[in-house]
Amino acid sequence: MTNIEATELDISVRVQQVPFAMDEGYESVLHQRSDIGAIVTFTGLVRDFNETPDVTGLTLEHYPGMTERTLIQIGEQACQRWELQAVRIVHRVGDLAPGDPIVRVLVASAHRREAFQACDFIMDYLKTQAPFWKKEHSRHGAYWVQERHADHQDAARW
Amino acid sequence: MQLTHLNTRGEANMVDVGDKRETRREAVASGRIVMQPKTLQLLTDNALPKGDVLATARIAGIQAAKRTHELIPLCHALALSKVAVDFDVDHANGCVHVSALCRLDGRTGVEMEALTAVSVACLTLYDMCKAVDKEMYIEAVQLDSKRGGVRGDYQRGLPEPIVTGGSAVGEVRLGERCASPCVRVKFLAELREQIEESDMSIGLDQLPSRDVAGLKAALNAQDARFGVLSDQRTLCAINQVMANDSARLTDEDEVAFFPPVTGG
Repeated sequence: MTNIEATELDISVRVQQVPFAMDEGYESVLHQRSDIGAIVTFTGLVRDFNETPDVTGLTLEHYPGMTERTLIQIGEQACQRWELQAVRIVHRVGDLAPGDPIVRVLVASAHRREAFQACDFIMDYLKTQAPFWKKEHSRHGAYWVQERHADHQDAARW
Repeated sequence: MQLTHLNTRGEANMVDVGDKRETRREAVASGRIVMQPKTLQLLTDNALPKGDVLATARIAGIQAAKRTHELIPLCHALALSKVAVDFDVDHANGCVHVSALCRLDGRTGVEMEALTAVSVACLTLYDMCKAVDKEMYIEAVQLDSKRGGVRGDYQRGLPEPIVTGGSAVGEVRLGERCASPCVRVKFLAELREQIEESDMSIGLDQLPSRDVAGLKAALNAQDARFGVLSDQRTLCAINQVMANDSARLTDEDEVAFFPPVTGG
């Protein structure tokens, strides 16, 4: 498991094999402060259908070092665009099963609009920039997931 | 996977670590000695004939770690920067859990030192208690975790990671040093499977031009399977920063090729 924090801005990112808690990040963000008005979180899960209808599992590979740095940079970009108080990103790697959480993004802000938009932005950038690769396992064999044009269009909105 | 302690003729062989880069190495090992409840009670009450059992076993474990090379034939003598031996007296299971941490800034792993520390600490516990209990047994001596080194980190219980490379957070792994100026090349995810190679290095003097395009050309000349690197979809990063064909390469650069990302 790796864990790095950016200085000044309250950003922390983590890449790990083990599962994360559904309330991951709340405590560290809310600890001893009451100026936060909104927390928006996104949790991505493994679907049992994607490129084929019967996905039985997923293997996630990443590029250690570059992954964490990219996630920190995405968090920093979000902080430049919106008034944010904290960003937490946790992404799992290794073998995952349908229903397993893969990724969690938490954004804290004084107001909800910033938090909603920043969370959306972070996911769009994460999907198109962070060096993760998915290999899906289905009853008919395993294959590497192809990038989706729609994800790049989504990221180009910002 | 090759056994590094055997040479090409299958004979025992001490590994030459002179060319390895010094890195922070750390290993944690553990084991336990199972004993009768009343022996354990005597141990906690400090009422055994030979005196302070745990303090003695701790010193024994630390000493043993430092002398591992005298016991294990092909181990190097290491200047350990830290050895810590800890005990957890477990009355519920009638045993003492022993763990040892060894640390070193050097060129070889320290797992043998940690395992030796645990083993000798357990043996010392046995020796200190054997007057009152002959039924004791030592079990589950194992490596729990290992950090640093070219083969990456290990943590018992975690499935073999599917991750590529072994860089610690925020740093670029340089791996084994080349004799002459070279770049290290990595192929990730689907590309690794297509090329059937994950890591290689290539001398800078073999590149027609000292940039990414030159690297691709040199690899292509070596083998047709590298043709996929010229695919428009293939991405490239130098020292973990995205780069294009005209990006310059210098000695010790880490160049990674990979397909479009699909995380999230």
